[in-house]
Amino acid sequence: MSFFIDIHALQTLPPSNINRDDTGAPKTAVFGGVPRQRVSSQAWKSAIRQDFAGNLDSSQLGLRTKRVAEKVVKKIQDISEEYDVEKAQAEVTAAFKTAGIKITPKVKNKGLEDKKTTLETGYLLLLSTQQINRLAQAIIDADGAKLTKKEVAKILDTQHSVDISLFGRMLADAPDFNVDASSQVAHAIGVHESEPEFDYYTAVDDVVREAEESGAGMIGTVEMMSSTLYRYANINLDGLAKNLDDKEAAHAAALQFIKSFISAMPTGKQNSFANRTLPEAVVVTLRDDRPVSYVNAFETPVKESAEHGRRVMAAQALAQEATDLAETYGLEPAKSYVLAVGELKESLAALGEEVNLKTLLDKLQADLAEVHTN
Amino acid sequence: MHSLLLLFKAPLQAWGADSRFKTRSTNKEPTKSGVIGLVAAALGRSREESVADLAELEFAVRVDHPGSLMRDYHTARNWFGNKKNSQLSTRYYLSDAVFVVALSSPDRAQLETLEAALRRPVYPLYLGRRSCPANPNLVLGIKDGDGETVLRAQPWFAPTRVREQAYNPVSLQILRDARQGEPADTLRDTPVSFNPEYRQYTLRAVYRAEPVEVENPNGVEPQDDFMKEVTEA
Repeated sequence: MSFFIDIHALQTLPPSNINRDDTGAPKTAVFGGVPRQRVSSQAWKSAIRQDFAGNLDSSQLGLRTKRVAEKVVKKIQDISEEYDVEKAQAEVTAAFKTAGIKITPKVKNKGLEDKKTTLETGYLLLLSTQQINRLAQAIIDADGAKLTKKEVAKILDTQHSVDISLFGRMLADAPDFNVDASSQVAHAIGVHESEPEFDYYTAVDDVVREAEESGAGMIGTVEMMSSTLYRYANINLDGLAKNLDDKEAAHAAALQFIKSFISAMPTGKQNSFANRTLPEAVVVTLRDDRPVSYVNAFETPVKESAEHGRRVMAAQALAQEATDLAETYGLEPAKSYVLAVGELKESLAALGEEVNLKTLLDKLQADLAEVHTN
Repeated sequence: MHSLLLLFKAPLQAWGADSRFKTRSTNKEPTKSGVIGLVAAALGRSREESVADLAELEFAVRVDHPGSLMRDYHTARNWFGNKKNSQLSTRYYLSDAVFVVALSSPDRAQLETLEAALRRPVYPLYLGRRSCPANPNLVLGIKDGDGETVLRAQPWFAPTRVREQAYNPVSLQILRDARQGEPADTLRDTPVSFNPEYRQYTLRAVYRAEPVEVENPNGVEPQDDFMKEVTEA
């Protein structure tokens, strides 16, 4: 059993082309027997990752500490019984020294019975669990021999951060250095039938126009699509905490992921279409059973009615699916929040507590501290 | 024999059995290795742990709706260093497909363990590729009987618009692990190890069973113009 966060969003895009295939056409998929717009999960994940860079306070994320050497010492002792504290500390100090990182022993409770020596680096060092473990293992494997600078650098210098913890990493050459992603992002898919449209354009040659001659400097076509998309992602909170080796950092990372999932968008042809929209509805649920996608709400393509536009109809379909699944399978979320604009608020009211982005993040933070205790 | 039945129904699924390098293919039906991977993920097994017990389960799949093949053009940027080279790959998906899968074993308790895990999985479940989350109604339950028999008795899970376009009756393909002496196709699809350092699959013999005929009251009657002319003449 694990703890999961589900994020559902409905987001309408004006004519745009944020994610295209090798021919320049917007990506599509058939769902419910009809063609629809699709935005690949990779494209949206990439946008989220780039959003992280501008938002994350690195101190909240990963293990950024002066005492990273201490973690290596502890790991060595966990793995092998042959190392006492002094021996492990000496080996770790030597290994860091090889890589050019100076380690200073700090004595706590000087002069007292339970005095304790800890190793500290001169500055905060951001390392992941894997790097710490690998270094510990390398020291044990070397069995007293000195690790080369190259060996240590290879362990410490490779990047490892929240985005890798969330999205995973696969290195074909070094599979032991792989990170299993703790989030899952589905391809965004249109809630209704749509096909790409072609925009025929002409570009005017200024000199030709000046001379009052006719004819275009160049002509071409651009494909575009306009859709209301259903977007879904989940976070495996235990997996994230494991990847980061720190529960609080995992909570901060999860909140940042949610924030970026809501606000970031792939940048394809953004300058041509200025498609900077935000989701009109977001539902965030905390669950201890399993992640639940509501995508099948849209298998029957959504159509606007006489009273309501497509966005409201999509929100109603989403609410219906969530209610149906809860009733049929007992898949009741532990907590559920709804962030919606205008008329959609009413359609989604049954799904959870109404919040705005700030209160959503505040409440989630409090919830996670409370419920995610294992 | 008892069979644990699973329903695979999502916008996208991908079940590769022989993908290498930059073209990631999908088979037309779920693979045994993919489904065992799904179950192992539900149980919370690491990739290094053995799946020998799961590989022994008998596997059968019924094609409720074959869906269509979708090609996805994928670019990935280099995460390390400042290199700007993009890695291109082509990924194939099945869009809109519906399958019912049976995992069979004489040991009902084993299937009950798997069922419970699938209902409350350790890792999020996906249909062959991480970007294809599993549907909420994934687990249909445990039935008595071997996979093929149980699949024959299941209702048809196709959506309404598929029913309306299909004939009455429809015939659904069933593929299952072959038994001794049965004619079979072979697929490199029995997982030995998911360990990324030592990923290995052995061959699996796949038997195409007699398709099952399902009543489809919403469907259209099969109408062959030639036969119509002949019978009316």
